[in-house]
Amino acid sequence: MTVLTTLALTTSLVHAQTAWTGGDDLPNNPLACDATAATPAAMPYDGGVPTNPPDRKGKEITVVDVPKLIGIGYFDATSKGIAEAAKEIGTMKATTDGPTKANIDDQITLIDNYITSGVDGILFAANDPVAIAPVLKKALAAGINVVGYDANSEPDARQWFVNQAEFNGIAKSMIDSLAAETGPDASFAIVTSTFTTPNQARWISEMGAYAAKCHPGLKWLETVEAQEDNILSFNQANTLINKYGDDLKGILGMTSVATPAAADAVTQAGKCGSVAVVGLATPNAMKPYVEADCVKSVVLWNPVDLGYAAAYVIRAAADGTLQPGATSVAAGKLGNLSVINGSEILLGAPFVFTKDNIGDFNF
Amino acid sequence: MNWRKLIRHETILAVLVVVALIILGNQSDKFLTVDNLLNQGRLMTEVGLIAIIMTFVIVTGGIDLSVGSILGLVAILLGVFWKDLGLPLPVAIALGLLVGTLAGAVNGLIITRFRVPPLIATLATLALYRGIAEGISQARSVRGYPDWFFVLGQGQVLGVPTQLWILGIVALLATIVLAYTTWGRAAYAIGSNETAARFSGLKVDLTKLAIYSASGFAAALAAVIFVSRVSTTRSDMGTGLELDAITAVVLGGTSIFGGRGTIIGTLLGLVLIQTLKNGLSLAGIKSDGTIVLIGAALILTILLTNIFQRNGNR
Repeated sequence: MTVLTTLALTTSLVHAQTAWTGGDDLPNNPLACDATAATPAAMPYDGGVPTNPPDRKGKEITVVDVPKLIGIGYFDATSKGIAEAAKEIGTMKATTDGPTKANIDDQITLIDNYITSGVDGILFAANDPVAIAPVLKKALAAGINVVGYDANSEPDARQWFVNQAEFNGIAKSMIDSLAAETGPDASFAIVTSTFTTPNQARWISEMGAYAAKCHPGLKWLETVEAQEDNILSFNQANTLINKYGDDLKGILGMTSVATPAAADAVTQAGKCGSVAVVGLATPNAMKPYVEADCVKSVVLWNPVDLGYAAAYVIRAAADGTLQPGATSVAAGKLGNLSVINGSEILLGAPFVFTKDNIGDFNF
Repeated sequence: MNWRKLIRHETILAVLVVVALIILGNQSDKFLTVDNLLNQGRLMTEVGLIAIIMTFVIVTGGIDLSVGSILGLVAILLGVFWKDLGLPLPVAIALGLLVGTLAGAVNGLIITRFRVPPLIATLATLALYRGIAEGISQARSVRGYPDWFFVLGQGQVLGVPTQLWILGIVALLATIVLAYTTWGRAAYAIGSNETAARFSGLKVDLTKLAIYSASGFAAALAAVIFVSRVSTTRSDMGTGLELDAITAVVLGGTSIFGGRGTIIGTLLGLVLIQTLKNGLSLAGIKSDGTIVLIGAALILTILLTNIFQRNGNR
């Protein structure tokens, strides 16, 4: 026992230089404080290439979509978009099958089985960028087209990644919305899924950098983990409210589960108006809180469009019309999407839902 | 020859495995291929290692819920020892295995010294070890292991995945120990009647301590293989793994009340679950449907055994 405790202490000391509660250690690139658009630097293609794929040009292909997990509104929406695009394209059969929990091992095993069953294409949203890489590389080696959306893997483990919005763009929308609601000198806390979840970690890291640059008065209290769990998210938000009392002026929700749960906690604590909730979430889940004026801004892209774009991208990759070095790709009703960062396809700028427009969306 | 002696749980299970193999083989021509079967062996190794030692634990009438957390802890420590403390990777692996064994020994001490029921003791350490793992890792992943390390989880020896050899060796040793040594007999005796075992002069506490330590070691070994297979460490590795292992053991015919069970039964249970998971997936059934069918198969197997053995033939 003492050995374990000593171990825990010494090893955590190694990490304990700063009170780190979220984010990753990658370099940040905060956007300008005003609305100046960033100019993306040109980068050579850094994705992978399938080994000796059969000629799939114009032929019917079978594609499996493996999201982080099934049974939550967000990934229901992406798979809806994929199904919609597959129907439009006509030569693509797409099924969605994912783990029932956001579990790295279940997702890897599932993909492994689909490689064996011989699909033409795999769409994925990674639970861990590194852990998923070996199995995706195996798929590429088997000549399967591999395209990611929502949550990336290591670049060389897939051909393309459909990026819903750039991390620094999300960070800017979130922090600007928060500062607008709470004023420039407020304290805030973050409810995320887990510290390792790549997207959330990246957003948090970028938010920290952007806040430091453009809203230096904001005080980041801490980040708490709540998995993708509704009850846990509620409890964590509730704990934050009790722990910081009147100091807490805002809660940022990093997942489509955490944000409505945080809004619910604020509502039940009777803190509407004194604790702002800003977060990533789907409009349907947030409508009650937005209409009750408890939540003013919900940041997101359209996940249906995200799935829709991913389906067009994998079709184009299978046809060979989307080649390394391309600068854009045609994605049906979304028009031409541009290639950024070497092998990513950008869906667009993040969208901020407010009381005025949230009623126009249904997902 | 009493015909009923042939209808043991293991026999029924073996028949079910064969039936499942045939049915699922007919559903997909990708299922009964050497590549796929070997690959499935690769995927079931981590649960398998833990389930084999869990058989001992359950045979003594105990349970070890902390194995998934020990796996997570050792995985994290492996990364920390290697990357943050700068130790050579083989030393980090050895230390990781040592910590896993110690974590198991702590379970054993709490259970034998303080007479805490195994369910409660390991439920507590399930939370404790996972908490330590998360505290140490601060949710940072360790990546960038050298290529030779991946041989363990992704490579093969003589055409068979490396970890399957390890699983085979551990299974063989465990079968011999449980079936043919005094240690094994002591485990059965403790599970059947601990008081009687104590009065017979068996070293009950020492046996239990050894078994829980071995369980920790198995979880640690699984952790090293897991890290090598997925090429990164995360503090949430192995979450829920204890239930997969216990399912395999119980499906294999080991009595949850102790005193009865075999390693071959556990291996058959393991194979049956993996067969169903993989075969149903290849047959085009989605993962949520697969879970339902596996649950149904579990109940069916246990019912079948109960029907055939209802005369109390143990």
